[in-house]
Amino acid sequence: MVTNPKMPIQSATDHIATLYRFCAQSMQYPDSEWFSENYLSSLYGLLDALGGSAEKEKLQTAFSRSKDILEELQIEHTRLFINGLPHVAAPPYGSVYLDKTLRGKYSDDILLYYRSLGYDLAAHADLPDSLIHQLEFLSFLAEDGNREGEEEFLARFFLPWYPMFAAQVKEEAQHPFYRIIVSFIDFFTQEEKEYGVQHNEA
Amino acid sequence: MAFNITRRKFLQSASLAAVALPLSGAIASESGITRSPLEPKGSLKDETVVGGVCEMCFWRCQLVGKKRGDRLVKLEGNPKSIDNGTTICGRGNAGIQLLYDPDRLKYPLKNVGERGNPKWKRISWKEALDECGTKLKAIRDKYGPQGLCMFPHGATAKYPMHFMERTIGTHNVSEASFFQCRGIRDTAYLATIGKAPNEDVDMANAKVIFLLGCHFGENVHVSHIKRYIQGLQNGAKLIVVDPRYSASAAKSDIWVKIKPGTDTAFLLAIMNYLVVNKKYDAEFIDEYGEGFEEFKQGIKDWSLAKAAKECEIPVAQIKEVADMLAANAPNVSIHPGRHVSWYGNDFQRQRSLACLTGLLGAYFVKGGWVPGKAPKVGKTSWAKKDHGDEHNLNRNADEEPLYPYSPPGTPTDLIRDAALTGKPYPIKGAVIWGQNPIQTIPGQEKMKKVLQQMDFVMCVDVMPTDITMWADILLPEASYLERHDLIKTGTQWDFADKQQQYITARMPLVAPMFERKDHVYITNEIARRMGYEKDIPVQTVAELVDKDLSVAKLSLAQLKKEGGIHLLEGKNPYEMPDDFEIYFYNEDIADAGFPGVPTYVPVEQSPAGYARLLYGRVPLHTFNRTQNNVWLHHAMPDNPVWINDKVATKMGLKDGDVVGFINQEGVKSRTTTTVKTTPGIRTDAVFMAHGYGTANPLMSVAVNAGVDDTSLITKITVDPETGAHGMRTNFVKLTKDGKVIDIPAAV
Repeated sequence: MVTNPKMPIQSATDHIATLYRFCAQSMQYPDSEWFSENYLSSLYGLLDALGGSAEKEKLQTAFSRSKDILEELQIEHTRLFINGLPHVAAPPYGSVYLDKTLRGKYSDDILLYYRSLGYDLAAHADLPDSLIHQLEFLSFLAEDGNREGEEEFLARFFLPWYPMFAAQVKEEAQHPFYRIIVSFIDFFTQEEKEYGVQHNEA
Repeated sequence: MAFNITRRKFLQSASLAAVALPLSGAIASESGITRSPLEPKGSLKDETVVGGVCEMCFWRCQLVGKKRGDRLVKLEGNPKSIDNGTTICGRGNAGIQLLYDPDRLKYPLKNVGERGNPKWKRISWKEALDECGTKLKAIRDKYGPQGLCMFPHGATAKYPMHFMERTIGTHNVSEASFFQCRGIRDTAYLATIGKAPNEDVDMANAKVIFLLGCHFGENVHVSHIKRYIQGLQNGAKLIVVDPRYSASAAKSDIWVKIKPGTDTAFLLAIMNYLVVNKKYDAEFIDEYGEGFEEFKQGIKDWSLAKAAKECEIPVAQIKEVADMLAANAPNVSIHPGRHVSWYGNDFQRQRSLACLTGLLGAYFVKGGWVPGKAPKVGKTSWAKKDHGDEHNLNRNADEEPLYPYSPPGTPTDLIRDAALTGKPYPIKGAVIWGQNPIQTIPGQEKMKKVLQQMDFVMCVDVMPTDITMWADILLPEASYLERHDLIKTGTQWDFADKQQQYITARMPLVAPMFERKDHVYITNEIARRMGYEKDIPVQTVAELVDKDLSVAKLSLAQLKKEGGIHLLEGKNPYEMPDDFEIYFYNEDIADAGFPGVPTYVPVEQSPAGYARLLYGRVPLHTFNRTQNNVWLHHAMPDNPVWINDKVATKMGLKDGDVVGFINQEGVKSRTTTTVKTTPGIRTDAVFMAHGYGTANPLMSVAVNAGVDDTSLITKITVDPETGAHGMRTNFVKLTKDGKVIDIPAAV
């Protein structure tokens, strides 16, 4: 387990960075390394803070009915994002939506963008345009207080595909967990256009 | 779903810190994004990578990959190639779309649902391999090695297949490329000239090209097509024997619109005519022929008139074909074909083709059958061990082969029948590697029952084809663009050019994405778990290839340095080997209880109201393997059914009508396709391209596109000498708007 490198939290930008990282974490393949009591209580806390009591209840009901919560989410993750019946519902890669293929030109453009701002993919990384890496990148930008970069990245790279992905997940998800997670991501990214990023109370 | 707060308010609220703090403690995964030195306006490096060998079909054209950064953007023929040259076909170009297909298998999957109705869960390689190793070992321990069977296909399946056969010791391996495709051809030629023929006809330098069922243009293999086109360009005459006006028939000088199943009668009549009229190469036969007298006697009843009646073609046309061949002998290409599992009387037809080539003296001469002389490389694999024939299903009580001319492996239905009956022993474990038995082997329901009764089924594949729905564990294999594997050797495609040889080895053009692994890794890891660690011949696939290249004093590094292809001086391909013989009559075949002279065995005719179902290739698909490729699907999205135009009129059908099928056993097609009316097909047959109609919804492009011809091939026909299937022995009616429409016998 890797501990959060950003402890202790000091500023609102760090909090926003944490929110992005939490969303990225939630999209990882579920395993016991991270999908823990601790994770779930954080998730419930976030739902409480957002006034998502109905969602929290749905989630708790689903979990209470499950014989094996982790396996159930693994099956759901596999079905939605890897290889699923009736078909992989929502591949979590931007170029599938924009280029109609994995590893399209979009994935090069996004990699170049990471690099242009002083970031790169780690050796163990997934494809450059993976949703997880895009959220991690946003987390770094927030942590650096790079508001302009965050806005530009959202507008140029993230928002052109994410709503299509989120819509497919919401339509095809059988478990409330992923509906809730994509709604979080929606919540933290989609409204940017309307309000702009507010990093400090001002 | 909307939350009861706006983002702005939330981010500005005092509670942000209270919420975020515990979240940070829940983050456990390492970020895939890292800080790196600033590269303000970076660009990705363009490069050309050598060493690609195509596998969009089995022809294995040599490639280079154009890369931008680590992304493959284009495939081209390797300019150093003396085989395909810079040319690749439409499928070759579309390899990029296979590589980056979002539907491809990415991680090991475990079926936590049912076979046939799977529910997939991603698992780690360790868990997947542990499960495969444990389950296969348990079956071997309980039932013996013979309790395991394998259905392999393709370049990567050879290594695991040898592990199954040579190390574990099961005979129960059935390759589709043999038992549903070319095995009959190979053993028929072996029984006639001692060699498997491949497609080694020197068409580029022929005066006549004779094709029986081959439909080049719809069936595209680059250097093969180059030979064919060069021959036509040089003025070769083209004879095409086909019930359908194929792409080749469209270029022909003579199109023989033969009645399906009667080809051997046609060939026997030609040969008898050549013999009777002394239009054969007597000198060649004196020198190389064996059993010619028996042969002459055996075919003497086949007059042109008899064949004309049987084949429903004019006497004059058979004579015209025979005379054209004789007049241009020995420079004639009698093509041995490739997919020859047609009617269950195929061994005798393939023997006839080999004999006709001999009568014309067309072996090792310009334009004839000329195999070319390729350089030697190694064949590293699992060590051969003698496991005896006690559990060989292809043996009768006297230990004689049931199918003496079976290709290597065990005839498919001997394996399936044993699995279903448990006799003579149970077969409880199946390894399916690169093959899609649901869409390659006749009798889909039988195949499903076979899989259903297994204790364990594992599949290794690149795509989630229909068979993968029946797996317990499904392993994702690296594609041909992401791995090392085979070595290909050969010569320049046109023997009229300077004689050259080449050696190439498949090298990865890009690293495998996700968690795809190669065949050597997967096989070795399973072998370790089954207790065969000490038998493992190589640790990596690169080591295997290097070892085999070392026989030719080469290495992967050297090959790469040379642009992916090593060229050598060639040898005269026309030089006749000292030991060449051609068995017109084969005593061994006769001793085994089959006709020693090529013999025509009539096949069952269409019941009233039905037409024979014929199938074939289209240029932009390789069977089912390419169906999910978005570029190829766009070009050829379905497989219209060819129906004779007069028949269609009588049935009230027109182009574009949507129809389904019902076969002679009442089996209906799951999907529909459109009608293509044409004078270019006989009235007693319909035709469609093979490989369409995928059932697995994971193949989101291919699913339900067109009709699966294999689903209609429920009557199982087996060629008696070889045990291979005949697959053009089923008959269909059409269905439209829920009604069954008879196909009229005569128009």
